[in-house]
Amino acid sequence: MADYEAVIGLETHIQLNTVSKIFCGCKTDSWQDPPNTNICPVCTGLPGALPALNQVVVEKAVLLAAAVHAEQIRPRSYFARKNYFYPDLPKGYQISQYDEPLARGGFFDLPLSGGQLRRVTIPKLHVEEDAGKTLHRGDRRLIDFNRCGVPLVEMVTGPDLRSADEVAQYLIRLRQLLRWLGISDADMERGQLRCDANVSIRLAGQDRLNLKTEIKNVNSITNVRDAVQAEIERQIREVEAGRPIETWTLDWDEERQALSKMRAKETESDYRYFREPDLLPIVLDSEWQARILQALPELPLERRRRFIEQYSLPDYDAEILTEERSLSEYFEQAVGSFSGEPKTVSNWLMNDVLRLIRERGTAAGALQLTPGHLARIIEMVSSRQITASTGKDLLEQVETSGRAPEDLVKEQDLAQLSDEASLRELARGVLQSNPQQVDLYRGGKTTLLGWFVGQLMRETGGQADPQRARQVLQDLLDM
Amino acid sequence: MITREPGSEWVSPEVFEHLVQLAALELNPEEAEYLRREMNGQLTAIRELEAIQIPEGLPITSHGVPYTPEISQPLRPDRLQPSAHAEDILAQAPEVEERYIVVPDIPRTELE
Amino acid sequence: MNQALCDLPAHRIVAGVKRGDFSAAEVLESTLARIEAVEGRPPGLGGEPANGIGVQAFISLTPERARAQAQAVDRALSRGEDPGPLAGVPLAVKDIFCLAGTPSTAGSRILHNFVAPYSATPAARLEGAGAVTVGKTNLDEFTFGSSNESSAFQPSPRNPWDPKRVPGGSSGGSAAALAAGMAALSLGTDTAGSIRQPAAFCGVVGLKPTYGRVSRYGLIAFASSIDCPGPMARNVTDAALMLGCIAGPDAFDATSAQLPVPDYAAGLEGDLRGLRIGLSPDYARLKFPDPASGELREQPIAAEAQAAVEQAAQALAAAGAEIIQGVPMPNTQYGVPAYFVISRVEAASNLHRYDGVKYGYRFDGEVADLLELYRKSRGRGFGPQPKLRILMGMYVSGAQYEKRYYERALRVRTLIRQDFQRAFDPAGAHRVDCLLTATTPSPAFELGAVYGDSVLMQYADLLTVPADHAGVPAISLPAGLDRSGMPLGLQLQGPDFSEALLLRVGRSFELATAEESWRSVRPPILAGVSHG
Repeated sequence: MADYEAVIGLETHIQLNTVSKIFCGCKTDSWQDPPNTNICPVCTGLPGALPALNQVVVEKAVLLAAAVHAEQIRPRSYFARKNYFYPDLPKGYQISQYDEPLARGGFFDLPLSGGQLRRVTIPKLHVEEDAGKTLHRGDRRLIDFNRCGVPLVEMVTGPDLRSADEVAQYLIRLRQLLRWLGISDADMERGQLRCDANVSIRLAGQDRLNLKTEIKNVNSITNVRDAVQAEIERQIREVEAGRPIETWTLDWDEERQALSKMRAKETESDYRYFREPDLLPIVLDSEWQARILQALPELPLERRRRFIEQYSLPDYDAEILTEERSLSEYFEQAVGSFSGEPKTVSNWLMNDVLRLIRERGTAAGALQLTPGHLARIIEMVSSRQITASTGKDLLEQVETSGRAPEDLVKEQDLAQLSDEASLRELARGVLQSNPQQVDLYRGGKTTLLGWFVGQLMRETGGQADPQRARQVLQDLLDM
Repeated sequence: MITREPGSEWVSPEVFEHLVQLAALELNPEEAEYLRREMNGQLTAIRELEAIQIPEGLPITSHGVPYTPEISQPLRPDRLQPSAHAEDILAQAPEVEERYIVVPDIPRTELE
Repeated sequence: MNQALCDLPAHRIVAGVKRGDFSAAEVLESTLARIEAVEGRPPGLGGEPANGIGVQAFISLTPERARAQAQAVDRALSRGEDPGPLAGVPLAVKDIFCLAGTPSTAGSRILHNFVAPYSATPAARLEGAGAVTVGKTNLDEFTFGSSNESSAFQPSPRNPWDPKRVPGGSSGGSAAALAAGMAALSLGTDTAGSIRQPAAFCGVVGLKPTYGRVSRYGLIAFASSIDCPGPMARNVTDAALMLGCIAGPDAFDATSAQLPVPDYAAGLEGDLRGLRIGLSPDYARLKFPDPASGELREQPIAAEAQAAVEQAAQALAAAGAEIIQGVPMPNTQYGVPAYFVISRVEAASNLHRYDGVKYGYRFDGEVADLLELYRKSRGRGFGPQPKLRILMGMYVSGAQYEKRYYERALRVRTLIRQDFQRAFDPAGAHRVDCLLTATTPSPAFELGAVYGDSVLMQYADLLTVPADHAGVPAISLPAGLDRSGMPLGLQLQGPDFSEALLLRVGRSFELATAEESWRSVRPPILAGVSHG
């Protein structure tokens, strides 16, 4: 069998997390609201209604364009009407952008496993309004306009991805970036990030672009990956069997894990674009643009690289610490307050603190356990003032109470028991209570030492220094 | 490039039918003929535009009045302004079920 | 002379109501009585037989609403409060505007049952100023036409000066209602002359403001980049008063101009010394292609229309203005063809939303699928004029034709705009302050005479459409009656946002011709109706 290469481009629609819709004052987030409650004359296309552009939509879109290094963010861009009939499109046209979009010429360098980078080009980025939702009921369609007018950014990539896994990676990184910038919650299951994939194949080493199929309506990253993989395999099978690839539109059935050909387009695709006369051009003067770009943070992949270099962290740590923006900021602040190795902070963060964050369904930036508090706890453990297990308990306590860890240590008398005499006393008690184990140990089962240490730790309420405890027990047992 | 013989029509019955489909209209034969004739008449009038000498680089005018920064409306602030009209809007729909607007389904071609 | 309350100018109604000479309720009753006397039976979708010589100006009347509003005005006055600058004035709103709680039909079957959930901004401002809405006036379907004959609600309005003739269009019902005393003010719209032409045909005042001067929110859209809501009244002072209430920025209309609203009534009585008023030979004749051969034809406008212009020039000169002859406006002749293209593209798109799904008419027979529902609803809901505009719009905006037609037309529009800029340029050859022309090439034509011939119908707008393209303001003033007793209209066009100037010149003309005999002639339809 010949060697084939997959050629995949993605069209992503990103719902911005503004308070109000793009052209009216209805709210943007109406997930799970009863149908047709979040509507007004504008977003339902009533006779006489007119659009009025939400300023923050422009700001968020510009931020995204800058984050993908758009070569050109137009100082003047125009809305255009895309005319077609569909029941979820109340005006019979979508207000979008056509040949004068907000930004052009961007790219995203996607890290692949193995350390390479795949440069995914992003030729175009534009702003548009979302349509409503329809659902089937027998031979009828039910329409809900709640979602009409939600602001979207459409970002189209070049045919630069080469496998289903890369597609998944791209979506993961895109989602990370959108959350990092604070412009979208990017939850695919809630339709806040949508993706259509254009898939074609060619013989490895070739340059040409063959006819592609379009996969639509896939609602999770895993499903996108599975659908793209299934389509690549299907195309290879077809080509091997000598059948041509036709430009179908495909649907992915998650349950059956299978592709199906969608119904043909409802109306012709001559959209008869023309400039939207009800809106003025978007004028992005240099002052406004500069103000917007002040909010452009260090991007996740840049920060990841910097953490590796600056803090001598392994890849693994840097990846986890920069997965979410407030966590990465938390890390740096904690390191700033801690006199020891950043790696130590990283270990604490990646394990216990991250677990705490997940259990409480919160984010690092919202913790009562501040970076300063964490640094203090780590210091107390490192200097053996408290045991590691005390330290871990303190994380919970500080988060719940909001109080400083050193205060809690003082109040609850949590300082480590390292007084030799009391320790010996308690250790003798442990040996006396467990004569069988003592015999076993002295009979050669020296691995029981660990068990003894555990017992002694329990006796001390976890406050003994485990190393000293071990030492003391060993002494006593070996006597 | 559209070429047309002198005296022939701009809009043939085939082109006309295609436009009617695109426009989601349905016409009876008399209407269709009247409209097609009127269209051809208007297009003859429009032909005048082609003869006009338009200077190179003449910009388009999208609204007669130029929108200078002074008269242009600032963009809308991102604030909630829920509408009081949701119920009245829904009340205008010809068929509603459980608050959804109901329509017949869209033609499908099921395959595979 | 004792005038019926309903025949009073709006500004005198306001003054009288506020002074306590009469109540808002009395003014309303006078108006309702006039409607009862001359309006005829309400029109219908199936077409009702005309009630003899009824004016048929309205699609729907709103007496309950009006009574409640009049009561509110009178109550406010009795409490010593100010009910607003239009207190008690009977108002007719062209049925192209959404008015909350009223059927807002656009003169079409496809919206015959649409009850607007909200009010258009200009209408809301008028009601907020104390005006009393007596009804929604008839219009060409979706404003597509210049005679009001294309309305789905028949019989269509008659011209109060001769019921065999059209009142003009598309604001025909509005103009007719004013001329017959069935309202003192009317809110109309102008896209190719739809305020000015019916005003001229019916002998009333109609002003198309600068594009963007008045909010379009709630105006059922035809051509978004051209439509202008505007005041219609029986005299200039009333038009100024009304403009002051409706003009001004609106957060709901992104194209509304962010300019303060001057006090239009304040500068009306100024004289015209130092003003330069231009006349243009390009407005004295019509140039249009023969519909059959495509050859360019030229013919002068009606002699009496031209004479009215010349007489008006003399009157204005006597009032102190300088008349400048020969101002070239060479691209005037392209106004209609460019309009055919631009307006149709926008209209076709604006009419996409009428699909039977969310509001309005939905075909209630058996359909196989949604596509058939669209076709049948639109097919039966729209009359021939909307269908024509939709098909034209689809044709000229199709991908393969876009550059040839639409973009080109937008460039021609620039040429038309430049005609005005050159004429008004203070450093230019003519540097006029405004242009004086006839409003229409001829007075009102007979019902059925032109309808059906869309090209000829559109060319009636030749003198008015350039201002729509250029966005500049223009006013039509009554200028006398022709030999057969039909009104003639005079048009003044000015630079952007020069409404105050146009109103001032209009007022001067009114004063200069105040004693002329035609000013005391009433429309014949009022012959049997009492004055007092």
